[in-house]
Amino acid sequence: MEEGRDPHVRLGRVAATASAAAECEVLVIGGGSTGVGVARDAAMRGFSTILVERGDLATGTTGRFHGLLHSGGRYAVKDPQAARECIGENIILRRIAADCIEDTGGLFVTTPIDDPQYADRFIAGCQDTGVPAEEIPVAEALRREPRLNPRITRAFVVPDATADAWKTVWTCARSATEYGARILPYHEVVAVTKDGDQVTGILARRPDGEQVQIRAQVTVNAAGAWAGRIAALAGCQVNISPGKGIMMATNHRLVQTVVNRCEMPADGDILVPIRTVSVIGTTDIRTEDPDHWEITRAEIDQMLESGENLVPGFTAARMLRVWGGVRPLFQDHAPADTRDVTRAHAVLDHRKRDGVAAFLTITGGKFCTFRLMAQDVVDTVCTVLGTTRASRTADEPLPDSQERRFYTLGSRLAERERTLTDEQLICECELVRRGRLEDEMSRRPAPSLDDLRRALRLGMGPCQGGFCMYRAAGILHQLKHLSAAEADQALVAFLEERWKGVYPLLHGDQLREAWLDDWIFQGVLDVEHLPRAAPALPREAGPRETATGRAT
Amino acid sequence: MNDQLSAPAVDVIVLGAGMAGLVAAVRLAEAGLRVTTVAKGYGSLRLSPATIDILGYRPDPVDSPAQALPDFAAAHPEHPYARISPATLAEAVQWLKEHVGTYAYVGDPDTNMLLPTALGVPRPSAVVPETMAAGDLRSAGPLVIAGIGVLKDFHPALVAENLEAATAARGRAVKARPVLLNPPANGQADVGAMALARRFEDAAFRRAVAAELRAAVAGEEAIGLPAVLGLDQARSVWTELQQATGRPVFEIPTPVPPSVPGMRLARALQDRLRRAGGRFVLGAEAAGPELRHSELVGVRIRAAARVTPRTCRWVVLATGGLSAGGIEVDVSGTASERALGLPVHAPGPGEAGFLPGYLSDHPMETAGLRVDSSLRPVGPDGEPVYENVYAAGAVIGGARPWREKSGDGISLSTGYLAAEAILKEAG
Repeated sequence: MEEGRDPHVRLGRVAATASAAAECEVLVIGGGSTGVGVARDAAMRGFSTILVERGDLATGTTGRFHGLLHSGGRYAVKDPQAARECIGENIILRRIAADCIEDTGGLFVTTPIDDPQYADRFIAGCQDTGVPAEEIPVAEALRREPRLNPRITRAFVVPDATADAWKTVWTCARSATEYGARILPYHEVVAVTKDGDQVTGILARRPDGEQVQIRAQVTVNAAGAWAGRIAALAGCQVNISPGKGIMMATNHRLVQTVVNRCEMPADGDILVPIRTVSVIGTTDIRTEDPDHWEITRAEIDQMLESGENLVPGFTAARMLRVWGGVRPLFQDHAPADTRDVTRAHAVLDHRKRDGVAAFLTITGGKFCTFRLMAQDVVDTVCTVLGTTRASRTADEPLPDSQERRFYTLGSRLAERERTLTDEQLICECELVRRGRLEDEMSRRPAPSLDDLRRALRLGMGPCQGGFCMYRAAGILHQLKHLSAAEADQALVAFLEERWKGVYPLLHGDQLREAWLDDWIFQGVLDVEHLPRAAPALPREAGPRETATGRAT
Repeated sequence: MNDQLSAPAVDVIVLGAGMAGLVAAVRLAEAGLRVTTVAKGYGSLRLSPATIDILGYRPDPVDSPAQALPDFAAAHPEHPYARISPATLAEAVQWLKEHVGTYAYVGDPDTNMLLPTALGVPRPSAVVPETMAAGDLRSAGPLVIAGIGVLKDFHPALVAENLEAATAARGRAVKARPVLLNPPANGQADVGAMALARRFEDAAFRRAVAAELRAAVAGEEAIGLPAVLGLDQARSVWTELQQATGRPVFEIPTPVPPSVPGMRLARALQDRLRRAGGRFVLGAEAAGPELRHSELVGVRIRAAARVTPRTCRWVVLATGGLSAGGIEVDVSGTASERALGLPVHAPGPGEAGFLPGYLSDHPMETAGLRVDSSLRPVGPDGEPVYENVYAAGAVIGGARPWREKSGDGISLSTGYLAAEAILKEAG
């Protein structure tokens, strides 16, 4: 089945058809990988489960990382616990989520700017933590990756891979709903309700302004970088130190293998081939507010320089976009540098910690360990509810992954070729066919073009929506998912949102592309004089930053 | 052989084959000069809706470009229009109308029509293909907007609904309703604008469309169709559809390249150039000026992996702006002129070229050459860099063509004027 395809999840309609109140055993707050993982795990253990998310699924940190499925090598020296968790989950996810993973393999290479002594510590750390790492001759590394800096001095092969975060989240959500969970995007928590010291559920606000009461026996705070805010609503203090990282995508793959600098984790030390692009990452800068931060020119220059170190000529490559995400780093004290906070996760039982019962926070961790995080917190849920039910997520494959066949770069093209003359191709860059687009539209009550982008990769390729977004807006209107005024607004909102990730990187051929897009939208369509193109639809609430793009 | 004494190989090298380059080349070749056009690619005219937009917004809507231009030029002294007199503009428009063969243009710089875009926005344009003119929303009666099922780049329902809202907001409501045609498509679901245009040149296909239209149209409605009504036979296709339906028919440009009207105009001008004896070299690009004692005596041309100097008396630089690649911006934010290395007026590396708002006035948008009154690129001192180089089209900075709706008007008039300046010197 094609990625993201998900006939069971009818987003936002679940609650719209129910009354304005709902009840469940397990309520999950947060629709990133962790939250969706928790919902699936809980539903698989037979708990009635509801998940709420303030925006669309995977719009927070999950949809904004580079897509690396860690082998653990990166943390082998600095954070052995995180390294052990990564390799354990790497093996499990390859088994249960193959369709979301491309088995690219990974390399750790000692570049001219790296400490040559680190390589020996690296290999020792990998041995201690169980991360398979094998040294190969530099010539062999360069044969595998001809664009690599020829001045590297050592190279190690590790089982890194890449994971499509959106596909993973959508597939988990689908599996969760098959087990009876209800997934409610665009439900923002405005209050945590309590009966004395017992959390009884939440009050959520929908885009139409209506408030929904959800009562739960246990409430799990899986809000990631926003977990501190949710905890505060329950009267608990959880210190999350949001660590901002930026990433940049090139318009094609410069490498076919994940390339890491063999060095203590630092800025700009990974180049990840994912889907049709390469992503360079990342920085780590502490930020107070996970919703408001900026991408600076200095960070962009730093990424360009880092890319040049890994792959000479990187700065001349065409850059698609830049975006940022915030890591949910948990701490009970305040370290100076967010990179020193452990990447391992923590389950907080607020009854023990703060005297607030039936309320758990799962925090820290990373995408690679989302399944384990979910398992750990649902284990605690079982304890709270006085029952014992084992997690099955380590063994039961996700839908579409039963055959354990990894995604490959040509998968979409192969799928597309089957219907080449039968159906229109709406997005040439990402090979999105019309039927897929219409399916996805019909599952959402009032889809934004940005939601469709995440669900389908519509508009994520080299032209950044220049060709497909007019078509998508036209089809949304034709099929009566949006009124003409809403379609106009959705189009303008998309262009505004896209620009944020594009404008900091406009040079070279991508500037030409952006100007061609402007010619289409402004020069030919006169989009700036649409009769009713008011500001973005209110429903497009969700993460908003001052100057960020979105993940590729 | 002493090549300093040898005569230049040609009179004029025109760099670029968009609107500006083609206009200059045709005009010079027809005047009897030996002209070689050197183009890296086919030129962005083929992406253009082929309406000659002169000035649509400043940023308020402009009713009469001819009346607005003197004030506009005074307010924007570095704008290309500050070098174009009303008389030159009128001559250039007239010249174009006489040089596009059967692809006729109507309108003049005195008045902007309002033609619906593929989003239904009433877009101001002064001189337009006759196949589009019946869509003028200033005078249009009720409309039926007809899409074609296999064409994904035109959405009639959105056009019609937006068009009604936009015209109502302007005080003269035009009624419009959508219809979707499904003429035979050989079993294909996805047919692009160019392929459809060729199908319209097939009589049986045309008849099928006309039959569907006759069934769909009611009363006094005029019929709006995507601009795919034939390529080389556009006029006869359009005429036949009007006769077959008994209703006025007009085309609406589709947004995604290539543009069928742009192809028609480019082919008409290129045909004209060929018949005038102009040479056309495609797939070659300028690699800098050929100099003798700091005078430009030719252009170094890169083609087939080698660079060869080609001598000439004059150069028309019509390589385009940021989209066509005539002006480049590197990773440091430095803008440069690609063909001859001429000085570019643009924000520097430390300055903000682009602002966070999509529809902001981005300083980099106006990047380009500055030119003197006869369109010779000037240096920081205001003096021409070379006495015999003339710029035309989007390589000249100072304009925001997409926002102003001024692109092809600038290209036409500067291409025309550059040729004029050379013809004067040639005697």
